[in-house]
Amino acid sequence: MATESFIRRCRNGYAKLLRLYPKAHRERFGEGMEQTFNDLCRERQQSGEGWFGFLLGTFCETSVAIIKENTTHIMQNKNLMRLALGAGLALLIPLALTLLGGVHWSPRALTFYFVLLLGAGLAYELIASKPGTIWHRAAVGIALAAALLLVWMDAAVGTEDDNSGGLMYLGVLVLGIGAIIAHFRPPGMARALFATALTQALVAVIAMIAWGQYLELLVLNGFFIALWVGSALLFRRASRFAAVPK
Amino acid sequence: MTKNATQGPLTPAVLHILLALSTEERHGYGIMKQVEFESQGKVKMGPGTLYGSLGRMLEADLIRESHKKVDPELDDERRVYYQITAVGQATLAAELERYREVVAVAKKKQLAPVSFAYGH
Repeated sequence: MATESFIRRCRNGYAKLLRLYPKAHRERFGEGMEQTFNDLCRERQQSGEGWFGFLLGTFCETSVAIIKENTTHIMQNKNLMRLALGAGLALLIPLALTLLGGVHWSPRALTFYFVLLLGAGLAYELIASKPGTIWHRAAVGIALAAALLLVWMDAAVGTEDDNSGGLMYLGVLVLGIGAIIAHFRPPGMARALFATALTQALVAVIAMIAWGQYLELLVLNGFFIALWVGSALLFRRASRFAAVPK
Repeated sequence: MTKNATQGPLTPAVLHILLALSTEERHGYGIMKQVEFESQGKVKMGPGTLYGSLGRMLEADLIRESHKKVDPELDDERRVYYQITAVGQATLAAELERYREVVAVAKKKQLAPVSFAYGH
């Protein structure tokens, strides 16, 4: 016979599991599923049968259904399919050049860049889908393009030689941490991007001291700093528009 | 799903749910118990399969939700009940007819289930 607190813990655990369903499914059936699970628990309690098999079976069955529903949800997302198609088409160029023998991109590199492009596209969709102005969308676009370019260049250098310096450049992407802290809201994003620009400048100074190549590093880092600052200013503008009562 | 549910063979879960709802409206747990009863315990549906199927059946207009109400036999919680629609009834009838035809062909060939099971 299971105790009340054990059954309560099971119910809470099941309710938490249901959170993994896509939002639409959860909102429509979440309550009914919890009720059904509670009924099954009551039935089990009354029958006096063991709980381990029941809980394992029910949690596994629901987990499989969650995976199925999420997969269906993703496949129905036309934007995602468009993004995947776009990323695939963009990578047809290096693939064709590889097949023709002009350059050599390994399957691993192609997969990496596909995931990178798709990830950047998804991030844009996620952030830009929140209510905001054209300034907000432009700011998101520039920041993501800069981040994508930085990672792309860093990975490209990494495949060629020792990439100890390249790793330092990845540190510039404090933007990600800042964005999470700021919950992607314009004022916080503006601060995170100014911090990113500052980090990029610091990395540039260190790189110049370590390797020389002043002009090359100045142009390259100046370009990125301009993108970060530009995006930060756009976010700041977006936050001002959002603050004006309509 | 619409095409599949109304034109092609139904999945076992959808068929059993339609059968369970053919006589009266039921809530989720009620459907689950009715399916288990009608299949003599051979079909046991978990909540994930049940509500996934219900979602697709609602989309295909095979069933509809009724107003929330209390099941006096269980507790005082208000529950969503599901009803079979006219489309659902027609789909169930078509599926049962398909089964009848298959069984008729099997009978004509004097095939018994045991002959499949043991490869005679």
